[in-house]
Amino acid sequence: MGAHDRPPSKHHNPHAHVIHQPGRRLMFKIPLKFVWNKVAGHGKRSGNAALNLVSFIDFLITTVIFLLMSFSASGEITVDKNVKLPKAENVEDIIDAPMVAVNGNQILVDGNLAGSTRAIEELGRMQKIDELFTLLKNKRELWKQVQPNKPFPGVCILQVDQNVPALVVKSVFQTAAFAGYPNVSFMVGKLPKGG
Amino acid sequence: MGGVDVGEGGGKKKSTNADINMVPFIDLLMCTIAFLLITAVWVTNSRMNADAQVPGPPNPDKELTPQTPEKVLNLHIGETDFALVWKQGATVVSEVRVPKPPPGDNAIIRYTDLGKKIEAEWNTNGSHRDPSDKKLDQAIMHTDNRTPFKEIIAVLDALYATKRKVKLPDGDKDLPVFNMTFSVR
Repeated sequence: MGAHDRPPSKHHNPHAHVIHQPGRRLMFKIPLKFVWNKVAGHGKRSGNAALNLVSFIDFLITTVIFLLMSFSASGEITVDKNVKLPKAENVEDIIDAPMVAVNGNQILVDGNLAGSTRAIEELGRMQKIDELFTLLKNKRELWKQVQPNKPFPGVCILQVDQNVPALVVKSVFQTAAFAGYPNVSFMVGKLPKGG
Repeated sequence: MGGVDVGEGGGKKKSTNADINMVPFIDLLMCTIAFLLITAVWVTNSRMNADAQVPGPPNPDKELTPQTPEKVLNLHIGETDFALVWKQGATVVSEVRVPKPPPGDNAIIRYTDLGKKIEAEWNTNGSHRDPSDKKLDQAIMHTDNRTPFKEIIAVLDALYATKRKVKLPDGDKDLPVFNMTFSVR
């Protein structure tokens, strides 16, 4: 570098009053030595404390493993909001099957209206519910078309409100059997063993 | 932060101690936990089996031979008691009555005594006991049309309390000794 390439000295620099060397500016002139000592660790003990992350990472990994183990890829089974399920202890795991929800007023198959509970109660005797029968039969035929080489399991799950009378339960049960679903399961809340 | 200590670097060479930045790793774990917590299914719903006892079509190649009917447990839900009646065809083999406990304040109905009595009855009269026997004993529930569903489930829970080991292709399994169906008139 030649002499003419060198940055001009402070004496010859016309911008010397605005351009300064980098470094601390804020409260630099105030000699808060005790603060500097504390922060920089030059005093008795450093103000910076190192956190041990090993236990924290262990906790996170344990939580991730637990959640992965209890993860259900099949998703949540929708329960009709008007249905309050009874509870039982000796139960089995839920399987994938058509859901028939029976509340105080309606009968629904996978959310579609399939009959009236009130009508059955008013009639006062067991009956075949035609709309329910048609919907379940269509489901069965669709299943057979989709999987022609497999035997039809004939399972459907009833979500029945705990206060619905036996007359309605028996009517729905019998209609499901007529429609080709002889293995009827009742959905219940799970009680802990010995609880 | 996390680091790997492999001893001092010799001379003026680059130090062999390497610091691993743990922040992205912790971020990944946090995101995974958040995703799993949001998508977690906490509802614990289960099912109870029943069987409509629909007879299958007869096999035309097989000759029909008259068989002695099996013993079947008829469970009657009465106003004040339960009746456990074992029948073989039209013949009544035995009959036992279990008093119904008074309804309590608890919303969940449990019939523990009924469950114990059913177990004792099955030990006396049950037909299918061998682990290789996959067939279950049949129970028929007789109930009034006004009986609320929660009471039916409580009786079913007592009926399914007795279990036996059954050998299945995917290993031994504890199954209820009875299979329930409704009595229809």
